[in-house]
Amino acid sequence: MEGIAIAMLGVALAVGLAGSGSAIGIGIVGQSACGLISEDPDKFGQTLLLQALPGTQGIYGLLAGFLIMQDIGIVGEELIELTAYQGYAYLMAALPIAIAGFSSGIYQGRVLASSINLIAKRPEELGKGIVYAVMVETYAVFALLATILMLFGIDV
Amino acid sequence: MLIDDTIYGYAVARVKALETHLLEQGQFERMINASTGEEALKVLSESGYAAALAELDDIHNFETVLADELRYVFNLVMKISPLPELIGMLALRYDIHNLKVLFKARFLGITSDLLIPVGSVELAKLENAVTEDDFLLLPEKLRRAANQIIEDFMVNRDPQIVDLILDRVLYDQLIEEARERQAPFLEGLFVRQIDLTNLKTLIRVKQMGLSRDFLSRVLLPKGTLAVEKLAAMIEEPLESLISMLDISDYADLVGEGVREWSEKGSASLLEKLSDNYITAYLREGKWVPFGVEPLVGYLWAKEIEIKNIRIVLVGKINQLPAESIRERIRDVYV
Repeated sequence: MEGIAIAMLGVALAVGLAGSGSAIGIGIVGQSACGLISEDPDKFGQTLLLQALPGTQGIYGLLAGFLIMQDIGIVGEELIELTAYQGYAYLMAALPIAIAGFSSGIYQGRVLASSINLIAKRPEELGKGIVYAVMVETYAVFALLATILMLFGIDV
Repeated sequence: MLIDDTIYGYAVARVKALETHLLEQGQFERMINASTGEEALKVLSESGYAAALAELDDIHNFETVLADELRYVFNLVMKISPLPELIGMLALRYDIHNLKVLFKARFLGITSDLLIPVGSVELAKLENAVTEDDFLLLPEKLRRAANQIIEDFMVNRDPQIVDLILDRVLYDQLIEEARERQAPFLEGLFVRQIDLTNLKTLIRVKQMGLSRDFLSRVLLPKGTLAVEKLAAMIEEPLESLISMLDISDYADLVGEGVREWSEKGSASLLEKLSDNYITAYLREGKWVPFGVEPLVGYLWAKEIEIKNIRIVLVGKINQLPAESIRERIRDVYV
């Protein structure tokens, strides 16, 4: 039965760490955005778009956490009997998105803060600023992919 | 990420937005091509200076507009900087400038209108200190320098020591503080300013025909060019100074600026090239997303802009030919 607790640690890490990465990233972009808006309020829409981008890591983390919760029956009818081995398997599967979500959220935020500086000067280059941030996003997507493939491989 | 550098995010983004309002080379060109000073002012009123200029009744009072602008910009950057003490270091130069003006005015028995209302110490406080001979209210380093000036002047009666003592205090303090606060970019700026000041001192002392002893006393330490090497240059022809600096960063500056100075007797090209050199250095930090670099760059950009406006307006008021105004205009930061 202790398998459930270990699997839940996986859920906590996926949602918690990836969510923290997003929160920090969004926070960083928000500070920069405020600096720009205090001089040029017309750019609010553009900055909001940029600020939202590091939010995806948190969503990926929540998705991974939700998949695990569904698998082990926390969401649904009743809890499934898990061995410790199976519990650890869930924990391991959660780690890619937990780790990469945390770091990529922060670094995407830093790139986007620079993009805010970019559109302060050249609003027409918004798209390029987004492309640079999407390069960071790639690795959060890879991590989510690994997490999901690992989850599919677990027999319960 | 041991130190959270993202505290600079707000200030840097705000400065980036402000940079878009800096005057561009084209606007200076239009001011230069204006037929009169008033026309040039009109071009200037299409920029961020519009509100201040609207209240200006006489073109000859344009200095008040520039002084107000400089003070406003310093206060703004100080306010938005997460570490205002770094910006305070840049304001120290104005305290020193004002002290120089006040002391010289006192020793020469004149009043001066060259005071600049920027700096870490209030102008009234400085004025009071110098006229009353009471420096207790000044920061420690300034107080010691002031007392030293008074002592020295009592003995030697030479107002020149004011510049020498105060410049030394300024740069000693700046370098020390930059190291203490671990601000290598600022230290790089101050080291370059020391080098440029020393080069100018060398030429000036050489032209005045003063001794090597005197020169080594007045050169500032802590630059990248060794004081002994520079002092030795006073006995050499100009060419050896140029060849000594041939592989340094200052090669072009010395090659053109110093040559012109010694040939035509005018330091204005060297002054301009020195300013351009600092601008080029600060541009290296222009796109740092989190750090003090863009803030320092913006303040310098504003100082240069004000200098350029002054050059154009003074030139226009005195009806100088466009070409001679143009050649004195500094490179802009953006």
